[in-house]
Amino acid sequence: MKDIKAFAKELLNKALSMGCDGAEVCVTYNRDFGAGVLSGEIEDYSVSSTFALGLRVQLNGKNGYAYTEAPEDADSLVEEAMDSAGSVGSEDEHPMANPSEYPRTQKKPDGFAGMEEVDKIQLCKALEREALALDSRVKRAAVCRVFSAEGSFAIYNTNGLEAERSDAVSGCYIEPVIEQDGEVRDGFAFRVDGEAANIADCAKEAVDEAVAQLGASPVAPGEYSVILRNDAAASLLGAFSGMFSADAVQKGLSPLAGMEGQSIGSELVSITDDPLHPISPSPFDDEGVPSVRTAVVEKGVLKTFLHNLKTAKKAGVSSTSNGGRGSAGSPVGVRPSNFFIEPVKGTLDELIAQMGSGLLITDFSGLHAGVNSVSGRFSLLCKGRLIQDGQNVRAVNEITISGDFVDLLHRVKAVGNDIRFSMPGGSCVGSPSLLIEGAAISGRG
Amino acid sequence: MISRSNAEAVLAEALKTGGDFAELYMEDAESHSIAMLQGVVENAAYSRKKGAGVRVLSGTKSAYAYTVDTSLEALLDTARRASAIISGEGAEIRHLTDIRQSKGQYGIPFSTIDNVKRITLLLEGTNAAKAVSHEINRVSAGYFDTDKKVLICNSEGVWAEDRRPRTRLSFDAVATDGKEYQTGGERPAYGMGFEAYELIDPAAAGETAAKTAVTMLHAPECPAGYMPVAIDGGFGGVILHEACVHSLEATSVGRGNSEFCGKMGRRIASEKVTAIDDGTLKGEWGSIGCDDEGNPSQRNVLIENGILKSYLVDRLGSRLMDHPMTGSARRQSYEYAPTSRMTNTFIAPGTDDEEEMIRTMGDGLFAARMGGGSVNPLTGEFNFSVIEGYWVKDGKIYCPVRGAALIGRGAEVLMKIDRVGRDMWMGHGMCGSRSGSVPTNVGQPRIRVSGMTVGGKGSSI
Repeated sequence: MKDIKAFAKELLNKALSMGCDGAEVCVTYNRDFGAGVLSGEIEDYSVSSTFALGLRVQLNGKNGYAYTEAPEDADSLVEEAMDSAGSVGSEDEHPMANPSEYPRTQKKPDGFAGMEEVDKIQLCKALEREALALDSRVKRAAVCRVFSAEGSFAIYNTNGLEAERSDAVSGCYIEPVIEQDGEVRDGFAFRVDGEAANIADCAKEAVDEAVAQLGASPVAPGEYSVILRNDAAASLLGAFSGMFSADAVQKGLSPLAGMEGQSIGSELVSITDDPLHPISPSPFDDEGVPSVRTAVVEKGVLKTFLHNLKTAKKAGVSSTSNGGRGSAGSPVGVRPSNFFIEPVKGTLDELIAQMGSGLLITDFSGLHAGVNSVSGRFSLLCKGRLIQDGQNVRAVNEITISGDFVDLLHRVKAVGNDIRFSMPGGSCVGSPSLLIEGAAISGRG
Repeated sequence: MISRSNAEAVLAEALKTGGDFAELYMEDAESHSIAMLQGVVENAAYSRKKGAGVRVLSGTKSAYAYTVDTSLEALLDTARRASAIISGEGAEIRHLTDIRQSKGQYGIPFSTIDNVKRITLLLEGTNAAKAVSHEINRVSAGYFDTDKKVLICNSEGVWAEDRRPRTRLSFDAVATDGKEYQTGGERPAYGMGFEAYELIDPAAAGETAAKTAVTMLHAPECPAGYMPVAIDGGFGGVILHEACVHSLEATSVGRGNSEFCGKMGRRIASEKVTAIDDGTLKGEWGSIGCDDEGNPSQRNVLIENGILKSYLVDRLGSRLMDHPMTGSARRQSYEYAPTSRMTNTFIAPGTDDEEEMIRTMGDGLFAARMGGGSVNPLTGEFNFSVIEGYWVKDGKIYCPVRGAALIGRGAEVLMKIDRVGRDMWMGHGMCGSRSGSVPTNVGQPRIRVSGMTVGGKGSSI
């Protein structure tokens, strides 16, 4: 493949000579490896190397985008982007970043460091064996995989910005299937980065999750005290993270619009966006803005929304370094980086003791469908355990929890110290366990 | 995209380590998208996706490698990378003489359309949505089209080409009374060229989105509990998609991870239920000329009068399950190995009266418009959201209700379908699974489930 940096420069020059006011090129490279094991054999294996290039041009104050995976024809790519810009009606100014100093970031630890593909596959086989050996009720693993990925992201623009960063992630996950007296249940657990090779922990957590579901049944509809376990709480926060985007707020698509400076939750709730957090540190965002830590909610008070250069300009503030691109060619939006509820105090067991009686919710399903970040409402299938007088009574499934996310934040009575982050994706979302009073539960019985 | 001799060279390279089957998939797709807010274009983008994947099988072991570089040298390297972990007896490669050419309906190519025409559609829908009520305070609209050309060739001599034009409009409306916000959406879509807009009425779609938002703004919270539920036709068919057909895909059945394993020829649904997956329907959003393994698209009767007749099976699934392939292999792009997926999936028309099923249901929920959902095929536990629901009191539609979710177990709910109406239509969605996100239709006539759990936060109405 041709020299991409040279091709990028060619695009920038062409865009200027064809009459654009400015231009920016984003280039991503990714190398991925993944393997799945079943019954001690490799079931599937995949490797890839991909490349993508996105061009953004500015023409009469409007942005236009074009994306390609085949860097062949610079002229037509610039024309497509200019054509896109010509169609835009929005007058909002969207500046491009200037060159700047970036904070130094620590490289994440890699539990697979020094391992070849064959070693990782051996580890995957060991993960399956470990799960099968833990409990005779484990019949097989529906999924047992290892993966590792390396990527690089570069951004070049006509302001003279030239920034490059690289990223890597590795990990394993397993979904064991258990059977007891005809009842079938599954569990799930993952380990990533520094913990990627901790297969014993991973297998145990997944098998424990499955076993904990045996004998599950619903509870009667009603209002319950609930604890959202750290991983479940993180997934719910992730599903609602779009509410905190200044882009959504400015478009009138967030229930938090106009609430800066106001209380949106219990004083126990503080929410931070920190691109430099060791869970997944990055020196700059997808627009090339240097990473900064942002207190989004402090003791229940909404301090700021998450901004990119465009929303910041419109609001008259600075970017919070949350410029995000879904892919190299996607229009720049807003994306949380490492976004989390700050831990306070108490273990999960202490929270359970504090609750006394209620439900421990360990998992939500259908978050893509049952959550509406415009209305702030949710109605979700969930599962967990019934707790009475601080004691585990039985497993619970086929129930729903419904409510309003801001109302839920107000009902938080305790925040644990057990922060946990979800599987890394575009963002890393984390939360400790949360004790909530008065949640609407549906079920039967 | 590639010459036959080069393709044969890549397949031969892929089988060198002893694989018994090799496949080359190539794709070149051009797309346009436009995003509008309140009648003003916010963003417009063009994209070209081009790449290739090589898959090698040895028994039920599968290796896949993919690349954006489609030069012969890169493809040979990709073949070597895929085959690196494969060993076995090997197989003879046949010359690529089994030529299969298909193409979707493509009357008006997208390349002949300028953005002004695309924007006009968005404006029509936006204006119609705004006109519904002064309570509509935001309308977002989106346009998408793609012209995707694929080539699939394999070591059994298949050379299959398909062209898959698709286009979609989306309208999302927000209604507010100054205190609360409620939303409604509509997303008409077809698998054809720009002539789709002779069938799609953007104004009607915008109006539908806005009406849902306004109706829900004035709706009390849905009561929670276990009750009879009537689900209207069209996108209501998502219940079949989630509660049943995902669990009939070889992806879950082939490894024993479905509640419907070993149920072939047995009753898995009420006798009123006949369910079909049909990828051959002309111009539909979920249709394909050939599947992503090069097999012709098919009409598959999955359930006939409640009896399980077929699973959805790809090549790997057929090796695991002793079941013929059903033309169901699909993938989002070259970045995914194919697996068994749905196309256009629906409950066939029945004989029941649509009004009678409401009249005789007592108290319960009428789910007029459904949202998305998900399922765990192993346990059959599914969920989906109701975006426009009505409370039924004593057999009469009493008032709209918001915030409802439907949950249950597939095997249980299918047996409890006690009415299937006469008039079937389909809705359009994107379905996510192991091989990525693919366009699918879901459909059904209005049906009734005698009892299921409804999630909500309301008390009794």
